[in-house]
Amino acid sequence: MNAVRRAFDSDVFLGVVRYRVAIILVATIVVSASLVPGILEFRALSLSLDRISTTALVAVGLTVVLLAGKLDLSGGAILALSGITAIGLQEELGQVPAAVVGIGVGVLAGIVNGFLVVVLRINSLVATLASMLFFRALCHFITESRPFSGLDPLFGLVVSRPIEGTVTLRTIIFILLLVALHLWLTRAVAGRNLFAVGSNPVAAEASGIRANGYVFGTFVFAGTTAGAAGVIQSLSVNTGSPVFGESTSLLAIAAVVIGGTRLEGGRASALGTLGGLLVMAILTTAMEFSNVPAYIQNIVTGVILLLLILLDRFVSGKKGRNLSLTAFLRSVRRARRNPENERTHAP
Amino acid sequence: MNVSTATVPGGRIVRQSWASRYGATLAMPAGIVVLLVLGTVLSDRFLSVGNLTNVLINMSIVGIIVVGMTFVFVSRGMADLSVPATVAVGGILVLMLDDVIGTWPAALVGVLVASLAGVVNGVLVGYAGLNPVITTLASGIIVLGIAQAFVGGVIVYGQDAAAKDVLTGRLFGVVPVIVLIFLLVALLGHLALARSVFGRWTYAVGSNPHATEASAVPIRLVKAGAFVLTATLAGLSGVLLGISLQAARPEIGTGYEFDAITAVVVGGVSLLGGSGSIPRAIGGLLFVTLLNNILILQGVPSEPQGMVKGALIAGAVALDVYLRRRGGRE
Repeated sequence: MNAVRRAFDSDVFLGVVRYRVAIILVATIVVSASLVPGILEFRALSLSLDRISTTALVAVGLTVVLLAGKLDLSGGAILALSGITAIGLQEELGQVPAAVVGIGVGVLAGIVNGFLVVVLRINSLVATLASMLFFRALCHFITESRPFSGLDPLFGLVVSRPIEGTVTLRTIIFILLLVALHLWLTRAVAGRNLFAVGSNPVAAEASGIRANGYVFGTFVFAGTTAGAAGVIQSLSVNTGSPVFGESTSLLAIAAVVIGGTRLEGGRASALGTLGGLLVMAILTTAMEFSNVPAYIQNIVTGVILLLLILLDRFVSGKKGRNLSLTAFLRSVRRARRNPENERTHAP
Repeated sequence: MNVSTATVPGGRIVRQSWASRYGATLAMPAGIVVLLVLGTVLSDRFLSVGNLTNVLINMSIVGIIVVGMTFVFVSRGMADLSVPATVAVGGILVLMLDDVIGTWPAALVGVLVASLAGVVNGVLVGYAGLNPVITTLASGIIVLGIAQAFVGGVIVYGQDAAAKDVLTGRLFGVVPVIVLIFLLVALLGHLALARSVFGRWTYAVGSNPHATEASAVPIRLVKAGAFVLTATLAGLSGVLLGISLQAARPEIGTGYEFDAITAVVVGGVSLLGGSGSIPRAIGGLLFVTLLNNILILQGVPSEPQGMVKGALIAGAVALDVYLRRRGGRE
C-alpha cells in the first residue's frame, strides 16, 4: 500500500498525469491505426479535424472558463441559437450581416451567463444549466421546433470546403484560435492573471486583480466562441435547427479535460485542449469507420471523462510542486542519476 | 429536542421581523393560492375536479423524483443529472422482463438496477469527492448508452394490460393510484428527512461538512446515500411510467431532471445545502405544475414552458444566494 502511494506521489507519475494528453493521443493513434487502416492518411485526418471543428470552437471558450474555476454547460444551446439567428435573419439582413448578428447573439448569451454568475453569484453549473434550458427552449420557440433552411446553400461552402485540397477554413480558424489562446495564456499579463484567478480568487483579488471582471470576461468569451461555432455549423449545412449541439457540451468538456485542464480551475493549457480535440476527432472517426453506434460512442466519451476527473481528483492534493515540463525533465534526470534520492525536490 | 432546528439550521440568534419569520413559510402557500385564483379567473375549465386531478397525476411521476432530489440538494450534492437515464432504465427493464418473470418482479428488478447506477454516482461523488454535476452528467450518458445498446435504440412495448389498469385506476373510484404512490413516497421521504437520524445527518452534512465530520458522522455515506436514493426513486418513476404507458424508449426520461430541479429550487430548498424540506419542494412542484397547467389552458404552446423553467431556476437560486448573503451580513 505504501509502495503504491509512493508511486502515485512520485514526480514521474505526476508528470505523466500532467502531460497525459500526449500519451492518450499516441495511444489513440496507435489503436485507431491498427483497427482502421487508412485513418492516418491526410484526407481522413483532415476530415476528422473538420468534423470536430464546431465542438472545438466551443472547447476553446470552455478552456478559459474552466481555467477560471467555473463551468459552462450552455455552449450547445448557444450554438443552436446563434445558428438559428444566422440563418433566420438572412432574408431581412443579407447573409454576412446575419452571420455577424448570430455571433452577436452568442456574445449576448455569454453576457447573460456572466451576469448570472458574477452579479447574482449563482453557482456557475446551475446558472448555465438554467440558461441552457432557457436558450434551448428559446430555440424551440422561435423555430416552432422545426429545422429550416437558408437562402443560398453555396454560401456556407466558404467555411466547409477544403482549401486547395488541404484543410477547411473552419479547421484553420479553430487551430489559429487555440494557438493565439496559448500565446495569450503563457505570454500576456492578463493571461497569467487568469491563472491566478482560477487558483485562488481571493488571493488574486488581494493582489489587485479584478477577479470578477476576469470571470465575467471568460463567460463572454465562451459565449462568443459558441456563437461562432453555431454560425459556422449552420452556414455549412445551410440549416438552423433547435436540436443542434445537444451533445456538444459534454464532448467539449471531455476534450478540454483530456487536455489536462482541471475542473477545479487554475490549471489549463490551450495546446492540451488541441491535443484533446485531436483525440476526440480520431476516436470519433475511427468508431464511425468501424460502425460503432452513436450511443456506444457516448459511453466511450463518458467513461474517458469520468476516469480522467477521477485521476485528477487523486493527484490534485499535491501543492507547491513545480510541474512545468522543464522541472519535470530535471527531476527525471535527477532520479536517473541518483535513484535513492528521487524524492528530494529543489526548493 | 427542538424539531425546528432541523428545518432552520444555522439558526442565528438575531431578532427577526414578522415578515422574515413567516415570509419564508407563507410565501409558497400564498403563491399557490394566487395561482389558483388566477387560473379560476382566466379559464372556466381550471377549477374542475377533472383538471385538478390531471394536475395531480402529472406531478406524481416527477414528484417521486423530487423527493430524492431534495436529499441531494440538502446534503449539498448540487444536483443529479443522471435522472433521465435511471428513469429510462426502470421503464425499459420492467417492460422487457414483464413477460419473463411477471410485471411486479420485473418492476423490482428495474428499481434495483436503477439504484445500482445510483451506487456508482454515490461512490464517485460521496467517496471520491468528484464534482456532482459533471459526474452525473457523464454517468447519465453512460447509463443511457447502455440502456440504448440493450434495446438497440427502439421502443419496448409491454404485454400486461392488467398491471396498467391497476396503476391508472382509482382507489374508491376517486383517488388515482399513481397519486397515492407518490403521496406515500413523499410521506416516507419527509419522515426520513425530518425525523430520522439519516435525515439529521443529511442536514448536518449540507450545512457544515467539516464540523459534521468532526462529530463522527459518516459524511461520505450520507452524501452517497442521497444519490442512491435519487436513482432508486427515479427508477421507480420509470417503472410506473413504463407500466402506465406500456411503452418505453430510451428518451422516456428526458427533461425530468430539469423538472425536478425547478421544483426543488422554486420550493426554496437551498442549492448551498443544509436547508429545505420535502413539503417545501413539493409545494414548489405544485406551483410549477399549476403554472404550466394555466399556460396550457391559455393556449400557450409548450415551448415557452422551458423558458419559464430556466428563468424560475435562475431567479429562485439568485434569490436564495441574495438572502443568504444578506443574512450573513446582519
